[in-house]
Amino acid sequence: MRMNIFQQEFKMHLRSVITWSVSVAALIFVFVSLFSSFAQDAALLNEAMAKFPKELLTAFGMNGVDLSTLLGYFSFAFLFAQICLAIQAANYGFSLVSIEEREWTADFLLAKPVGRAQILTSKLLAALSGLTITNMVVWISSFGFINLFKGDRTYETKPLLLLLLSIVVFQLFFLTVGLAVSLLLKRIRSVTPYAMALGFGMYVLSVFGDMLGESTLEKITPFKHFDPNYIIQHGAYDLPLVMISVAAIIISLVGSYWLYTRRDIPSVT
Amino acid sequence: MNIFLRELKANFKSLIIWGVIVILFAVVGFAKFSAYAGNPDMLAILNELPQAFLDAFNMQAFNLTTLSGFYGVMFTYFALILSIAASMWGSDIISKEERDKTVEFSLTLPVTRSRLVTAKTLAGLVNCIGLLLITWGVTVISAQSYQPDSEFYDFLNLSILALFIMQLIFLAIGIFLGCAMKRYKRASSVAVSLLLGTYFLSIISELNKNLGFLKYFSPFRYFDPGMLLHDSRIDMTFVWLSLGIILVSMVGAYLTYARRDLYI
Repeated sequence: MRMNIFQQEFKMHLRSVITWSVSVAALIFVFVSLFSSFAQDAALLNEAMAKFPKELLTAFGMNGVDLSTLLGYFSFAFLFAQICLAIQAANYGFSLVSIEEREWTADFLLAKPVGRAQILTSKLLAALSGLTITNMVVWISSFGFINLFKGDRTYETKPLLLLLLSIVVFQLFFLTVGLAVSLLLKRIRSVTPYAMALGFGMYVLSVFGDMLGESTLEKITPFKHFDPNYIIQHGAYDLPLVMISVAAIIISLVGSYWLYTRRDIPSVT
Repeated sequence: MNIFLRELKANFKSLIIWGVIVILFAVVGFAKFSAYAGNPDMLAILNELPQAFLDAFNMQAFNLTTLSGFYGVMFTYFALILSIAASMWGSDIISKEERDKTVEFSLTLPVTRSRLVTAKTLAGLVNCIGLLLITWGVTVISAQSYQPDSEFYDFLNLSILALFIMQLIFLAIGIFLGCAMKRYKRASSVAVSLLLGTYFLSIISELNKNLGFLKYFSPFRYFDPGMLLHDSRIDMTFVWLSLGIILVSMVGAYLTYARRDLYI
């Protein structure tokens, strides 16, 4: 890793990191602050749900969604924080290397006496530290706002910790997959559509799957691998699914180094 | 005219990609519907769920076992996909000139800036209509195997109109951002954050009755598919509001772009 590349990259990310962190914190605030009024409606729901056979509810993806409890509701809110985190991470992943080629700075960078692998490592670490800052903000705001609005309710800390711990892998998935896809493509004109497609597309896949029942297609989305409902309800990860995410991260990472060290870089002439 | 044609050609690939996404989505959706068509168990569950829950999950007032009801759920996702596409096209079509360093060239052509904006807007509009037609076509074709009745077609046509207005809103906002943003790089990210923000608002506005007024800020709540289906009408308040947003954005786009200092 080269410190100067790292610093330069980190500085470039900083503004966007702050914006994302503030937005996610605000989002969590709004959702959690609405909890007490929503809890009453949710209590009604639980009564209705108790009447149904379990299989049907599972098929409907609503098994165990207890929105009247603090954590049940939070798992619902957390999904929206996940969308933001996914788009942010995908954004950084897609722009990591492609931005140099788009702005014609790649030939300058690669003319420096630094190996390509080292450049990639520095850039990845810089993006990751940016994501980690957002991650920490999510931790702080989750605990802070839950405690602020919980009133006299209590909650278990362990599922919440597991939920928050999943963010790291979740972010890495979108960062590395974004990076790998950006290296597979010849040229990326604008990063946002790609980041949106990856981040939001995965979300839509997961929700749509939820509404219509399980299928193999939903296995590819990290929103299912780290389904907040599942984590809160079981107090554990769905390990086989988490392994899919981890495998995707490793493959993308190795693939990215392989592709980047062999990449044909366009230059201004 | 040449600018218009040039833009159409440049955006053609992107239209195809979005078209494929819509088609894939519809095909997967309708494949799942086959398991639900006429399934009484599912109907029983839906009838018992309380309103607040259905609202929060955008499933209000739909009977998933009928074609119209199912399409009502799909509508929300079509709306999302089409809005994302429209806001991407809108924000990109102006700002990409600066990104690709072609803006000096375009502006030395013997056309005024406002004609440039007009040509680009029209190209974006044609793209939106193209994607809308793809959506409409794929829905009609997929629906054929489930004996669509006239009620379904009424609902479909009305919802396509609603989707079109939503596309126009996001296209206009995107174009305005492309014209007005000093830093061209921010245009698409601001467009996306607006889109995400309004989507989240649309969900938050249903969580609490006191927050109902928030729906005026979220185009995703302007056209309630439940109302489209059951009353076969569009709430005119929101049509006027949409037209207002589109008009203000477009006027803003022309005004700001005419005065804009370009990044070269």
